[in-house]
Amino acid sequence: MSDTDYLKLTTYVGERQRSGDRLLAEELLDLYGAQNVATSVVLRGIAGFGPRHQLRTDQTLSQSEDLPVAIAAVDTADKIAGLAGRTVELTSRGLITLERAQLLTDLPALRSTQSTKLSVYVGRQHRIDGRPAHIAVSEVLHRNDFACSAVFLGVDGTVRGRRERARFLSRNTDVPVVIIAVGDSAQATAVLPELHRLLPDPLVTVERAELCKRGGRLLARPSSLPTHDAHGTPLWQKLMIHTTEDTLHNGEPVHREIVRRLRQIPNTRGATVLRGIWGFHNGRIPHGDNLFQLGRQVPVMTLVVDSPSNIATAFDLVDEITTGHGVVTCERVPALVSADGGSRDGSTTLGLFPPG
Amino acid sequence: MSTALIWIGVAIIGGFGALARFVIDRAVTKRKSSSFPLGTFVINISGAWLLGFLGGLALRPDIALVAGTAFVGAYTTFSTWMLETHRLGEERQLSFAIANIAVSVLLGLSAAALGLWMGGRCVGH
Repeated sequence: MSDTDYLKLTTYVGERQRSGDRLLAEELLDLYGAQNVATSVVLRGIAGFGPRHQLRTDQTLSQSEDLPVAIAAVDTADKIAGLAGRTVELTSRGLITLERAQLLTDLPALRSTQSTKLSVYVGRQHRIDGRPAHIAVSEVLHRNDFACSAVFLGVDGTVRGRRERARFLSRNTDVPVVIIAVGDSAQATAVLPELHRLLPDPLVTVERAELCKRGGRLLARPSSLPTHDAHGTPLWQKLMIHTTEDTLHNGEPVHREIVRRLRQIPNTRGATVLRGIWGFHNGRIPHGDNLFQLGRQVPVMTLVVDSPSNIATAFDLVDEITTGHGVVTCERVPALVSADGGSRDGSTTLGLFPPG
Repeated sequence: MSTALIWIGVAIIGGFGALARFVIDRAVTKRKSSSFPLGTFVINISGAWLLGFLGGLALRPDIALVAGTAFVGAYTTFSTWMLETHRLGEERQLSFAIANIAVSVLLGLSAAALGLWMGGRCVGH
């Protein structure tokens, strides 16, 4: 295990946002491609809101005009720090975060002892033992008792520094697909050698995450944090809520209800909902959609990044909505910028979290 | 009126119908908080009333074509109604999905009948 520091840079913006005369998502990926970023991926969301609290959702045609995208890039801390500044400059409205991650390309033992979030990157058409790679990986995660796992289809990205962009009428073999899974460190340690056997050239990131809820059961509240570190740099947290698309709370899908309630709180910084194509939680076997079904049972993941006090409020609300189902995790976010036109809130300086 | 002029009229007035849908759908959707697709519902019911009303007025054929087929045709939307109902089904909101079909049909027929009657009254039938 090398001790190189890695960072993950994530940008949450509207898919129609432009930078000059080009789409911002394309502009950012051109930048990441030119810099040979180790791994990056563009995921299209199905709902969300940003700094202006305008709701975007694919529920109705007119509200689905400018859905959110989440663009994540992982590489060494030095490289990402440079790209973060440029990304903030290019983004006129949206949320940009920096998180600590380990990027594993040889899958050694883990150093962390806490619950862990794994992101495994495979190609759209990659196959393992005759099956799609994402299905084979999901099965290994399920066999190792992971709390949840969800597969998200990238539309653009870089893989080991090479740009891989999805094209119409193409097989898109190497376009990235990311499998995001949560388990404890023992499970993660057990699963890594298995993944190494399945994936000859693995690309896996490991992040530390607190497992707050599993199957609707409360395990731990997000650890309470000061608003600033000892140097006055603000600290942030991220909630991830894993449910299925047709999981309901009082007749409304859980992810819609979370977005609706968070949007009513005046100073929240936004939320983004991503829909997966395959996955599991609550101990079910990994699954996707069937041809003959009405309700969709694919996984959805709702992401909320905000200040520790807003996250505490958001968690209470999420806890109330996810009484019987869902996995909720909380992660530490050392830097965040919320941009809206000329106004910028936060910075790309990394905050230092208290130990523990 | 020449055929060319009618075609141009259909294109332009149809464009205004589409714009009207866009503006009204947005205005209605902005105010709602439930997941019922109220914007499309309001458009289809008001469109049914308007088409009935235009029918009741018994306009000249070329004017009826431009106002009815072009404007109301572009304004109302069957495809969005179907797509949004399907989306409700996907998220297991079956009561909303069924209500969206049943109430749209019932109120749509009533609105068309009311429009026809009101149009007829306007021209003294």
